[in-house]
Amino acid sequence: MFGLLTLILARNPDHVVPALAVLLAPLIAVHPFVVADKADLRTLYAVLPVPHRTVVLGSYAWAVAGFLGTVGAGAGLAALLARAEGVPLHGSDLVTLLGLSWVLFAVNIGVQFPLLIRFGYARISVLGTVLPLALVMVAVVRLHLSFPTLQHWLPLLCAAGPVVLAASAILAARLPGPRA
Amino acid sequence: MRVVLSNSSGVPLYQQIKEQIGAAILSGDLAEDTALPSVRALARDLRISIITTNRAYTELAAEGFIATVPGKGAYVLPLDSALVREQLLRQVEDGLQTALDAARRAGLGRADLVEILDGLMQAERQENPSETGRNHR
Amino acid sequence: MTGDLAFALRGVGSAVGGGFALRDVSFELPAGYVMGLIGANGAGKTTTIRCLLGMRGIETGEIELLGHRMPGPVALRQDVGVVFDRTYLVGDWRLAEVERTLRPFYDRWDGTRYRELLDEFGLDLRARVKDLSRGMAMKLMIAVALSHRARLLVLDEPTSGLDPVARSELVGIIGDFLLDEGHSVLFSTHITSDLDRIGDYVTLIHDGRVVRTGPKDEILAAYRVVRGGPDDLSGLVGVELIGVRRTSSGAEALVRTEEAGLLGSGVLVEAPTLEEIAVPAAVDAADTAAGTAAEPPARGERVNAVVRMTQLHLRTVAPYRTLGLWCSGC
Repeated sequence: MFGLLTLILARNPDHVVPALAVLLAPLIAVHPFVVADKADLRTLYAVLPVPHRTVVLGSYAWAVAGFLGTVGAGAGLAALLARAEGVPLHGSDLVTLLGLSWVLFAVNIGVQFPLLIRFGYARISVLGTVLPLALVMVAVVRLHLSFPTLQHWLPLLCAAGPVVLAASAILAARLPGPRA
Repeated sequence: MRVVLSNSSGVPLYQQIKEQIGAAILSGDLAEDTALPSVRALARDLRISIITTNRAYTELAAEGFIATVPGKGAYVLPLDSALVREQLLRQVEDGLQTALDAARRAGLGRADLVEILDGLMQAERQENPSETGRNHR
Repeated sequence: MTGDLAFALRGVGSAVGGGFALRDVSFELPAGYVMGLIGANGAGKTTTIRCLLGMRGIETGEIELLGHRMPGPVALRQDVGVVFDRTYLVGDWRLAEVERTLRPFYDRWDGTRYRELLDEFGLDLRARVKDLSRGMAMKLMIAVALSHRARLLVLDEPTSGLDPVARSELVGIIGDFLLDEGHSVLFSTHITSDLDRIGDYVTLIHDGRVVRTGPKDEILAAYRVVRGGPDDLSGLVGVELIGVRRTSSGAEALVRTEEAGLLGSGVLVEAPTLEEIAVPAAVDAADTAAGTAAEPPARGERVNAVVRMTQLHLRTVAPYRTLGLWCSGC
């Protein structure tokens, strides 16, 4: 379904990469938490000879890897689509959209993960998706953000991505897991 | 080695093991120097606790039937060790005590008892001369 | 190896909500033996095990595990095999995948042994975790524990929901494991017949407190079961009846062995089974709680551990690895 949605949204090859990055990457990132609830992986994490911190950092590493993988796959798909439809790719637009997806992704994960790690997917699923979205909406409305202004601040925003993730990871590593 | 445990006999498991191994040694089924399974292997095979098995072995060792080698297992000691003799002597005493008790109730005196004993020994000698000969060594 | 403890709990208290889930829990197991943790459902067996394994914090007391005061180094988990009544593996993993996922975490993982054990237990490498029966899942978890060369095997209710054949197999597996005198086993159960024979030590737990702990034979020797007519067990002086059960045709109770001699000859006095002790003995429980606060968790790990964790996460997604599956699944 999501693949299909992406394709529909992405009649313009320029949008394939960001669309995938926005829609698919968070799903991939959150998936271990969904499985963890179903399969009682929290117990596995507690039994394996790894500290809680590693488990937490592992989820962030997995999320970033998922994002990069999606972007890679999206770039390939965009190139294929551009060739098939005979439309040229616009490099600068692509970079802007990609940068924005990265920022969105970082905020999304940065807000969602500590909650997921503390409370588990079952109790946080809806809130975890809505909260980052709401934060972004509020930021866009309150700061009167528009595409050109965003483009202007983009390098700074992109650089803020890893900072957000790192801060979130440090916070999450200090949180206890959900009570067994 | 053959050990068959009963759950309902009322005799503690360690006692059953001890008696059966002891009897096998006395009867010669387990010859001198025969290796016995380790405590842990026997516990596993009999599906009983290690402590119980260990207790049986410890008591068998204390009575001079076997010697245990820590971490290895145990082996059967020569039968004529002093402790076994003592054990046998105790059995003889127990048996004679039982006979004595019965004799008192039946009103038999010392002379009657000696006569019965002589008769039994003579009968045994006629039945199985080689066996008794060895016992009188 | 004598004198080494597999583990010890000393005055352990653990809170849940406003009250205490465990109160002043103290018991220990010498290395090389089996201990049964016996109690009714909700008595605190699982909580005790989780505290012992450091999966749950404690408010009072201290815990020692394989020579380390808990929370000990994370590497300690290399030596502990944990079997819970439900598997904590991803249902979609095949048993071969279970090995590929867990192996990188363990220093002493023995792949040959894993395959041998699966073979011995009648488990197929191609089977999926979710398709295993309870008994098979338990055997898989044991196979995992034995493959990483655990020294302490902790099983929480391993026999619940198992048929007699599987229970009997478990007894055999534990016996094999204990051939090494450095190996120890703790298992919790509410079905005491499992333990009547193989347990070396027993801890009876009731309502979050330890009622009785020690060598099983000593505990069994400390009590006698008395049975008599409806009026036989009344008006006794100097004999405390524990957990008396009266019916119109008779009465039954547990008494301390030293007091059993004071009973008249009209009653039947017998050695108890663990089952007969487990329930009534819960009546006399004492309480005090004291101790020190737990230390903060130890930290320090390596980057490649994060990589292994990422791989594990990758495996949680493995069933959906192809985008095609994503599309068709929705």
